[in-house]
Amino acid sequence: MFAAGGVSSSLGRAFLLVGIIGSLFGALASISSARSRDRTVARLIPRFSVLIFAAAIGAFATMEYAMITRDFSMAYVQKVGSTATPALYNFAAVWSALEGSILMWVLILAGYTVAVCFWLRKKMDDVLTNWAMGVMFIVSTFFFLLSFGPANPFAAGAPGVFDGPGPNPLLQNHILVLFHPPLLYLGYVGVTVPFAFAIGALVTGRVGEGWLLATRRWTLFAWGFLTFGIILGSWWSYEVLGWSGVWAWDPVENASLLPWITATAYIHSVLVQERRGMLRVWNLSLLVSTFSLTILGTFLTRSGVLNSVHAFSESAIGPWLLAFFAIIVIVSIGLIGWRGDRLHAPGSIDSVVSREGAFLINNVLFAIFAFVVLLGTVFPLVIEALQSRSIVVGAPFFDQLVAPIGIALLTLMAIAPVLPWRRASGELLSTRLFWPAWCGIGALALSVLVGATGFMPLLTFALGGFASGSALRQVVLATRRQGLRGFVGRANGGMIVHIGVILIAVALAASNSFTHSQELFLKTGTPAYFSGHSFELIKIVEETTDRAISVKALISIDGGKAYAPAITKYTKVGMNIGTPSVRTGIRGDIYLTLEPPVKQDSGEAHIKVFIKPLLVWLWIGGFLMALGTLLAAFPGRRRKPTDATSALIGSNDVG
Amino acid sequence: MSKSTKLNNKYSWIFMAAFASALLIFGGLRDSGPRSQQDRIDAITMRLACPTCQGESVYVSRASAAEAIRAEVARQVGSGLRTDDETIAYIEQRFGGQVLLLPRSSGIDSLVWALPIAALICGAAALGVVFRKWRTADDGAASAEDSALVEAAMASTNVTDANT
Amino acid sequence: MLGEKKAKPVAPIAATVVGIVLVSLLWVLVSAKPNPSDNADSPLLGQPAPAVVTTTLEDKPFDLSRRKGSWVVLNFFNSTCVPCRIEHPLLLAFAQNQLSTDNPAELYTVINDDSDGAVAAFFAENKGDWQKIRDNDGTIAVAFGVAKVPETWIIDPNGYVRLRIAGQLSEGLLDEQMSILKVQFGS
Repeated sequence: MFAAGGVSSSLGRAFLLVGIIGSLFGALASISSARSRDRTVARLIPRFSVLIFAAAIGAFATMEYAMITRDFSMAYVQKVGSTATPALYNFAAVWSALEGSILMWVLILAGYTVAVCFWLRKKMDDVLTNWAMGVMFIVSTFFFLLSFGPANPFAAGAPGVFDGPGPNPLLQNHILVLFHPPLLYLGYVGVTVPFAFAIGALVTGRVGEGWLLATRRWTLFAWGFLTFGIILGSWWSYEVLGWSGVWAWDPVENASLLPWITATAYIHSVLVQERRGMLRVWNLSLLVSTFSLTILGTFLTRSGVLNSVHAFSESAIGPWLLAFFAIIVIVSIGLIGWRGDRLHAPGSIDSVVSREGAFLINNVLFAIFAFVVLLGTVFPLVIEALQSRSIVVGAPFFDQLVAPIGIALLTLMAIAPVLPWRRASGELLSTRLFWPAWCGIGALALSVLVGATGFMPLLTFALGGFASGSALRQVVLATRRQGLRGFVGRANGGMIVHIGVILIAVALAASNSFTHSQELFLKTGTPAYFSGHSFELIKIVEETTDRAISVKALISIDGGKAYAPAITKYTKVGMNIGTPSVRTGIRGDIYLTLEPPVKQDSGEAHIKVFIKPLLVWLWIGGFLMALGTLLAAFPGRRRKPTDATSALIGSNDVG
Repeated sequence: MSKSTKLNNKYSWIFMAAFASALLIFGGLRDSGPRSQQDRIDAITMRLACPTCQGESVYVSRASAAEAIRAEVARQVGSGLRTDDETIAYIEQRFGGQVLLLPRSSGIDSLVWALPIAALICGAAALGVVFRKWRTADDGAASAEDSALVEAAMASTNVTDANT
Repeated sequence: MLGEKKAKPVAPIAATVVGIVLVSLLWVLVSAKPNPSDNADSPLLGQPAPAVVTTTLEDKPFDLSRRKGSWVVLNFFNSTCVPCRIEHPLLLAFAQNQLSTDNPAELYTVINDDSDGAVAAFFAENKGDWQKIRDNDGTIAVAFGVAKVPETWIIDPNGYVRLRIAGQLSEGLLDEQMSILKVQFGS
């Protein structure tokens, strides 16, 4: 086992082995403590969590060390390492392929385990806590095993290799590779925490005691990272990778969107449980679905069953992940079936036109949304299984089906924030919705005035105006009453998130419906015109480094500053990467890509120009979502001075 | 405050609805001008999958097969002899069904269209059942006086109503 | 799934229904094979071949419809594509073997996304005296639905497409398929 491969290899595997054993014992300690109520055993749980975290750090650091010292005795370093990769990208190269990405998963999961343990250190003798910790440790065991066995990053490589191709060129041309994958993983892995508590609640049957409220902030935390990771990913694909769009409905993208959808549904419906004590089983199901979907997404994108531009290479971990998914699903459904009715809460909804009624409709819409995305993603597999024929379900399908769901959600976002709990009278609605509705009319009139056409985009703009009116109303009233404090808290932060979502919806509607493009053949000295702008080729520049040759075309837009779309050939991999150049503007972006072939001295360049209206608002919306999430994570009301601000969610501001 | 003096009476809502519908109909139906050839090429290539590259569309892809298809689409659009759908049908005839990004609506492929609609119906039905069931526990509608009281209370606490 | 919240014992029923749906999903996932590889299927098989009117590398006109009466093999080729280069000796052997059969098949190279000079240089170095035909903007490749070179197509003497081989040829494959087709569809 420790034969070839040098010190790093053996050391890394030793760390993983410690992790496996630590997780196993942690799970055993947690579960036996839950069953026997033995306090001495319960005290061991935090130690095991520290042990596995240390093991995970050790394994990850070993991998980094091997990568930084370019230890080409290891297969993984041979695969993604290269002497020519700059230090920063070399550091990120650790998570640029399958084995390393699972190792990062392990690290983050162990981090969450120790964080939860630390957070609950005073409650270690509680049965529910014990079960939750047990679940955390079982999930950790699985991922440590995955990393030790089928996705082993420490495998010895072929002898006699002294250099490698380096990471995929797409993963070594922008700083974002350092942030996007870790953020996304913080989101994916973060949902393990609420899942563990959901299982704990199901096993113990204690679902009404506020544990859900306690994990609410963990979910929000994970959700925030997932949101931010997804938006950063689309920014990357737009500004850097030159895929000209922000979202392609690719299976890997869908895999990150699916848990986001169910987590979003949960963040809304958990409020009904807090306020009215209802929807307990439904909320549990949402948490379980979110976690299962992250595992399913990992399976789909890492087993090679689906075609995707960002897919990882084929590997042996497919069956493992599928088996794990099956176990999660069977256990969870079994528990819900067994416990569901016992956990049922008394209570009733008085009126459809009420806050809780709106949340229910919201949840149904999100469930349909998730179903559509999942269906479209796995449908090629269904056809393959039934008729052994390959088909593609692509962006136009999702666009067509998601647009009406988006419109329905926008409508809900316009009305729901002003609804009171229990019931609302027509007059109350009329009062509260009056100005927001005028915002909608204003947005509609403005878009008609500037020349927008088509029902769907106009409806989106109108509802976007309406919904932002409702969101702003809440924030304005709150700040008028509470001053700056009116920006924090779940409801007010939530409204800022809403405004972010609305901006994103509007930007997507505008750029999907009104993007125009044109191919231009430019010659130095002769400007070309498109859509009211002039494009003039100044010159073509070639830059050579020891890892790549890049050709840039300097193009002046409207006689101003030069933009430089480029094509870079990574010599070691033999792959061409196009890099776009974007002139960002409040009203729209001008997006330039360079088309091959380019000859340096020809004085000619073939470019493609895209005019994308309002796209910058998508990033502004994303920023607002992140900001709103942060504000929502702060408690809305004053905490007791004795409480630590970082801890003890829900202990004092429940309801 | 009597109803007739308030801005947000029934009539202003009717006016708003009428105004919004008028704007929507005007904006939705007006001609956005002739589509340029490039717009047509983009629209067609967005619906075609590049045959060699992992589900990317021909519109996005830089693979050589995608370039060739794009050139062919440009030729057919340029000749003006075929409609968008006919051009797509031509490409499908040559490359097979796996170049369509939009699944067909016939045969078993139509399931991908039918199931979301079924999900919508199920979701609506489930909502209806749940609301109905919960409503039966309701003890009748509130009187007008109650509503007025509630409204007054709500108006004074409308900051915290969402907060809690 | 919302039904789980009712007072009646619906949770077991709802869980069972969801379970059944998920088990069928699992079945689909288990039976899913990794990326289906090269697919030799084509909607054109058994159909009249698309029109091919172009010029050869020697600037002579070429029209596929005028080749009726003999079997035609089209090999889509790019001089930078590695499998194309590897399979080249097999094509040389095939061309040689055909000479000794009655009604020998005609072999053509269709240049795919490559320059005349590079192709001429390749054939000068590696032999192969059959005609190379131009496909400057990819019309022929798209007409046949060529996804990725090399691809080899066989067209019968009546002008119908009979076989598509996607990807690199294997030893003797082309000769074997050719003789099967000749028996099947007459020569």
